[in-house]
Amino acid sequence: MVPFLGHGIGLRTKHFPDLLEQGRRADWFEVITENFLNVGGRPRAVLEAVRRDRPVVLHGVSLSVGSVDPLDSDYLRDVRALADAVQPAWVSDHLCWGTFGRHNAHDLLPMPFTEESLAHVVGRVSEVQERLGRRFVLENVSSYLTYAASTIPEWEFLAEVARRADCLILLDVNNVFVSATNHGFDPGEYLRGIPRDRVVQFHLAGHQDLGTHLLDTHDAPVADPVWALYRDAVRRFGRVSTLVEWDDHIPPLDEVLAQAEKARALEKAVLEGADS
Amino acid sequence: MTLAELQALLHGRITGAVAGREDQLREEVVPRPPLDALERVEIYARMYLYRLVDAVAEDVPHTSRVLGHDAFVELVGDYLLEHPSRSPDIGQAGRLFGSWLRTREGFRADLPDLAMLERARSEVRTALDAPVAGAEALQGLPPDALPAARFLFAPSVRVLRLQHDVRPLWDVLEEDSGEVPAAIPGPTTLVVWRHGFKVFHTGLSEPEARALMVAREGGSLEDVCATFAGEPEPAQAAFKTVLSWFADGWVAAVTSQRG
Repeated sequence: MVPFLGHGIGLRTKHFPDLLEQGRRADWFEVITENFLNVGGRPRAVLEAVRRDRPVVLHGVSLSVGSVDPLDSDYLRDVRALADAVQPAWVSDHLCWGTFGRHNAHDLLPMPFTEESLAHVVGRVSEVQERLGRRFVLENVSSYLTYAASTIPEWEFLAEVARRADCLILLDVNNVFVSATNHGFDPGEYLRGIPRDRVVQFHLAGHQDLGTHLLDTHDAPVADPVWALYRDAVRRFGRVSTLVEWDDHIPPLDEVLAQAEKARALEKAVLEGADS
Repeated sequence: MTLAELQALLHGRITGAVAGREDQLREEVVPRPPLDALERVEIYARMYLYRLVDAVAEDVPHTSRVLGHDAFVELVGDYLLEHPSRSPDIGQAGRLFGSWLRTREGFRADLPDLAMLERARSEVRTALDAPVAGAEALQGLPPDALPAARFLFAPSVRVLRLQHDVRPLWDVLEEDSGEVPAAIPGPTTLVVWRHGFKVFHTGLSEPEARALMVAREGGSLEDVCATFAGEPEPAQAAFKTVLSWFADGWVAAVTSQRG
């Protein structure tokens, strides 16, 4: 049974003094896995302090689950060691690829949605779950291009990966909105295509409108259309652990916490039928 | 095109490792107004460079400031072509930037050393924690075990062999005040370490540097003392140096195997 964690925020260096010295807390925290692998000093101390009284989720950005490169055994060993130490509520990463020939682009590059990549990703997620000794959670990414080879809608691809590999889904509502705008699909159709029983987490974040496309920047408050889509997501999926990401031009902790509180209020309104 | 071929094509273009192949990219990537296929790929190529520029700049903020934005971006671009990131941790991307800068020209001569100092400070800040041994770990050994005593240093201790003394430069840039000093050429050994969450660096004299290198390479206390043989009052100098390692929290443990 996956627990409901409430409304959390990403653990970021800028907020370390508030968290460590003033003991401020959100309902729960998501940490970028790679920032805490084989790490000591203040980051580790903050992680341990936060974990003592709050749930934590490990969220990776470098698994590169869709890459044709072999899975990085050292990386998976380190992630497992961190997970064993921290005991996160779950471990997640993205449905994407970022490495080729062991050269890491440090990006979340979109998959071509084909039968070949579906089989590839399903096999890799299964292997990851085995090596980590736990069920894995996969997140949809924002994208700026699509491939001529794609034959499957993204939401069907994600749902099918989850079904075949028996993994769970982190539904990034902002990413759905950004990709829907960039590629001209209906974000509502995306939500309807994702199975209710697989979604364990929502992401919310800010983006920028560059005129020619939306860019997933995590440097601003959640945009109004994304809040509207979040309402739709709550209507469809019910109460799901929700997390606000803010990674650039990071404001004071109170401002990020206020976004999490806004998510809580919207969720409450939807579930109590006050928002229709 | 297979998944592997598609990833090779796109990755090569985004990272700058492979030039050209525009026709293939136009075939594989869907244009959607107002952006054509290549412009869509270019979004990722720009993000690749600037994401890594930011990561390296985080390691070496003073170096990037001295170079200026445009020169720094150009240098990091060149550096990445020779040293593409192989680590899942983007924080490791700039690991070799300082030493790589030594192969380049067109900036003040001590800049590679400044970058190496900054990188070391960055590594030390998040290095693994370890227990700190006090001098009693050595003093508690039986007298006949002392010569064979060996030192295990904390993972957060780094030793840098530089070609310039960049401490005055780092001080001015860190304080963001005062006139930037001229480069000070000459071999310089610096130690960077962490006490609590705070990072420090200090210079070592040549005898101290020799002793520390011997100890870090697994030499015994006897070997360490031997490095002071040519110094006036060698026993006293060795004693003072070794005690300072403990006082600064550099030593994690002392081991000894007699006979």
